[in-house]
Amino acid sequence: MRKYVLLTFVALLLIAAVPGLALAQEEAPPSIEEVVLAIDTTYVFLAALLVLFMQAGFAMLEVGFSRMKNVGSVVAKILANMGIGLVAFWAVGFAFTFSDGGGLNAIIGTQGFFTNPGGDVDATFAGLSWTAVPLSAKFLFQVAFALVSLAIVWGTMLERTKFAVYCIFAVVFAGLIYPIVGHWIWGGGWLAELGMLDFAGSTVVHLSGAMAALAGTLLLGPRIGKYDDEGNPQTIPGHNMPLAVLGVLILWIGWWGFNSGSTMMAVGQTFADIALTTNLAAGAGVLGAMAMSYAYRRNVDVGMTANGAIAALVAITAACAFVDPWASIVIGFIAGVIMYSTLVFVDKIGVDDPLGAIAAHGMGGIWGTLSCGLFATPALLETTGYGVAPGLFYGGGFAQLGVQALGIVVCGGFVFLTSYGVFAILKATIGLRVKPDEEFDGLDISEHGVYGYSEQLVATDYQNGNGSIPDPDRRTAEGTV
Amino acid sequence: MEQQGRPIAQGTGRGNTVIRVYPDRLEFVSGWQGQNATSVGLKQVVEVTIRGVVNCTLAVEINDGRRVEVDRMALPDARRIKSAIERQKETAGLYE
Repeated sequence: MRKYVLLTFVALLLIAAVPGLALAQEEAPPSIEEVVLAIDTTYVFLAALLVLFMQAGFAMLEVGFSRMKNVGSVVAKILANMGIGLVAFWAVGFAFTFSDGGGLNAIIGTQGFFTNPGGDVDATFAGLSWTAVPLSAKFLFQVAFALVSLAIVWGTMLERTKFAVYCIFAVVFAGLIYPIVGHWIWGGGWLAELGMLDFAGSTVVHLSGAMAALAGTLLLGPRIGKYDDEGNPQTIPGHNMPLAVLGVLILWIGWWGFNSGSTMMAVGQTFADIALTTNLAAGAGVLGAMAMSYAYRRNVDVGMTANGAIAALVAITAACAFVDPWASIVIGFIAGVIMYSTLVFVDKIGVDDPLGAIAAHGMGGIWGTLSCGLFATPALLETTGYGVAPGLFYGGGFAQLGVQALGIVVCGGFVFLTSYGVFAILKATIGLRVKPDEEFDGLDISEHGVYGYSEQLVATDYQNGNGSIPDPDRRTAEGTV
Repeated sequence: MEQQGRPIAQGTGRGNTVIRVYPDRLEFVSGWQGQNATSVGLKQVVEVTIRGVVNCTLAVEINDGRRVEVDRMALPDARRIKSAIERQKETAGLYE
């Protein structure tokens, strides 16, 4: 019996192998170029997956920092924004960012709407023609970046914003605001012409998200109960620090794709070096935030330590390909310190930022972009093909630092003003925040009709429907009442 | 603070100030956990005005000489509060 089974198995294996053998005989072996392209494409594909997975990190981070009554609205918002952002960026955002704008190329791209991976894509999407991977892979990688930027906007506006506001602003941000800044720096726009350094998006992705968040938060106002009548900030603790830290860890891992993947090719690139600087900075950011927390309040705040890692990751995003490992540690540590100081300041001036996104992504983005003008080494600038002056500490003078500062002011100012305008229109028409009673009850029930944690907030084990505890001694033919 | 049913209209302004309109009164609640609450009977309300469009200011004039202003409100909320107060006063036949 065993012999027959073995023979059948071998026969099946041979049948399965025959078409493969036939194909192998017909096809010529792939060329080196084809193998390189396959490796590069696989690498970008994996990096895009890692960056897209950062949405799970944002979800867990925001859930952890929210109160139980609002967690369902957080995950609903993440899902809705992914859907809207993907479609809006495919329809117009990707074209605005990376296509050739002809006479308007300094400002915006004007071709290739409704992204289609056919035709002469290198001519149409000139901003990404430096990498040979297929357009679909380029789009998937870049749309994940746009979604990260969009996710940053909502971290500050948690627990009081109408769901409709998320949806409407997502269209404008992913379709227009983010792509314009992206084109200026990455798509061959006027800041790229000036030689601004922003390797993976400290300004394009993080500062943009944070500036939009600041605009929205200023118009939205703080959560009810955040400030007393004298204006003193009160702590509204998140409900689950382990989830928040899990979110940070997911983001940290996602940053491997975010920074290293921005080479958009694996062969002949220094992506492992970039991963090294990225992780060193994150570690130093944790240390910086821990030191600040202990100096300020004599204990180590878990949430702020986690934000220290994020601030450092944001900061190293611009500089990860241009700086030595020792510099990445300096950049990360200072980012952690700046983040904590900004968070305390922002809290005191009446801006309620539950997640610390303005401090981590805003100030982290500013510091990271500036750090390129300080720490960029001549050797790494040459390796990566950026023909600009090295940083101030490498004898490059203030020229590059000035370009970096100009980029920060213009991009930050542009995103802030346009986002403020959109949020102002929304506030004057549909209103930004939910009613006070709905805020007290929680957005889960008022905006989505169901709690994220039903069993904690609704007595689901009372089967008799009147809220009384069942009597175990009273029995009917069907069993216990 | 004791509430009687759900408010007809409500809104939030600067400094966590919450305004609630009930069938017979108007409540201003502010401070940490709503520790400062002021209740004004609708009979005492003389006039409600709205100024501005984005961060608009809702002003409530009361017949004892006070004028309560709540700024940085959303226009739709302020409009709803104003119309609710005026509707209630009309319903009660308080306009002579």
